Amino acid sequence: MTIEAERIVERFEQGGHGAFVESFDAREERMTINMGPVHPATHGVLRLLLELEGETVVRCEPIIGYLHTGMEKECEDQNWRGATTIVTRMDYLAPFFNELVYSLAVEELLECDVPPRGQYIRMLLCELNRLSSHMVWFGTQGLDMGAMSAMFYGFREREMILDFFEMVTGLRMNHQFIHPGGVWEDLPDGWDDALERILDVLPGRIAEYEDLLSYNPVFLERTKGVGVISRDEVLALAASGPIARAAGVDWDVRRDMPYDAYGELEFDVPVEDAGDVYARYQVRMVEMRESLRLLRQIADRMPDGDHKNMDPKLSPPPRPELNRSMEAVIHHFKLMTQGYTVPAGEAYRVVESPRGELGCYVVSDGGTSPYRVHVRDPSFVNLQSLPVMVEEGMIADLIASIASIDPVLGGVDR
Amino acid sequence: MPEILRLAASEWADRASSLRSEGWVATDLCGLDRLGLVGDGARFEVVVQLLHMETRRRLTVHVAAEGDPPTVPSAIGVWPAVDFPEREAYDLVGIHFDGHPNLRRIMMPDEWEGHPLRKDYGVGKVPVEFRPQPFLQIDAPGQATTSVHAAREVDHLGQPVPGDDTPARRESNWSRSGAAEGEAQE
Repeated sequence: MTIEAERIVERFEQGGHGAFVESFDAREERMTINMGPVHPATHGVLRLLLELEGETVVRCEPIIGYLHTGMEKECEDQNWRGATTIVTRMDYLAPFFNELVYSLAVEELLECDVPPRGQYIRMLLCELNRLSSHMVWFGTQGLDMGAMSAMFYGFREREMILDFFEMVTGLRMNHQFIHPGGVWEDLPDGWDDALERILDVLPGRIAEYEDLLSYNPVFLERTKGVGVISRDEVLALAASGPIARAAGVDWDVRRDMPYDAYGELEFDVPVEDAGDVYARYQVRMVEMRESLRLLRQIADRMPDGDHKNMDPKLSPPPRPELNRSMEAVIHHFKLMTQGYTVPAGEAYRVVESPRGELGCYVVSDGGTSPYRVHVRDPSFVNLQSLPVMVEEGMIADLIASIASIDPVLGGVDR
Repeated sequence: MPEILRLAASEWADRASSLRSEGWVATDLCGLDRLGLVGDGARFEVVVQLLHMETRRRLTVHVAAEGDPPTVPSAIGVWPAVDFPEREAYDLVGIHFDGHPNLRRIMMPDEWEGHPLRKDYGVGKVPVEFRPQPFLQIDAPGQATTSVHAAREVDHLGQPVPGDDTPARRESNWSRSGAAEGEAQE
């Protein structure tokens, strides 16, 4: 028998269970433990160094870098077109946004326009991607709160959206579809029927989500007043996206500094004041409905015309042209081997990804490959607000808070 | 067009406070190695992205980092949000932030040498982390190393036993990592 066990038995003999419980003061025993990096509730390989007093979290330090693969460095090794294949892999639940923000930054340096149809296709894919990303969040948030079926529901509808992506881009993830100048290909025949099916089904399914969790007493108990972060803390920590909007910061890049054609569309930005996990839940649920509203407008207004900037120095010629025109062959060869050059300079562009402000800082030295690509991933910055949310709370509430930040560690570590 | 502000490191601490009182929020910070870019100025720069929510403007601030190691005062007291980004700039570009309370590597392992996003830290010049196991090596196409001989040359930890390697064997096992280490030191 170990010394500790002997002591416990001794205490039991002296006064029974009650006396033992009274004599044991959890606050005297501070414990440091590692949560993760391999833990199902950390949504990837996030490691948390926790200092606990009993079940109360005294200090929490996120430790990251387990997925670091040097993507910013790898971009410097690609040409401008090839770097989209790298950036799309950063935040793997929202790949279109990564491609979009990189393309916007490069387009600013190139000073090239995107035709209206290209802009609408980008918005179409991004809003669908926002839905699919929020569905993963819904599933994992529910799963972490013990609601297993939320996961099944969320992933069921996500499949529909991924099937649409596969139909349009050929791939379910990491599409490399949005390029500087527009999108790689036009929408395939039948895209409108496929989108109609999604738009018919999803409102009812989102109502099902609400039925599952929104009024569930266990879920309310575990999320209301949990993981609170105030408006001032959000601004100081530059947290963005649903975290900021749930704490009363009325900021959405799509509305306030519009890119693509978001200025032409109508949508509301949900704002809550509570700043807790439940407020973030509400914000994301409304965002899913608003995305559907945007998709309806995009489908109705989809303009005709080119899907990308047809400048032969930027976009490869259509395939039939290669059989007819020697110039097209030359342009194609130059673009595929060397790539296009981008004027020297720097650009910083921001889009509203499902997790918040996704920024891309691009520096060009005038050559055929990026000199420096830096991506401001919202998960990376938002993760700094985790200690504020969880300290002085219970360890079970920590799980709720991580799920409500919705970090994607591929984006955090890049 | 982006608004750009260029500052020296000595101006940064005061200027950051005044920018914050004007309502600017720091949303992002990254290190930049300008080796090879045209234009004069310091080789290393810290690039800070600021956002003004009321006027809906963005501002890019370049702070030149002089000295060896390149050093810039930390803005963590002004905007706590730059905690992780400053650690990232320290880790990947090797810029030191004076006054940062927890300036440790954030992406790379703690014992890592060098700063990967510097321009003289080339792709492919990295020492090989995990050495190839000798008994898995194939000397020439179609010709497998006999596993019996190879197995005798490594101890129970998979390390080669010293003194028991022919020049050919030594080359095939060590040339890659050895050459890479030599390059990295240059």
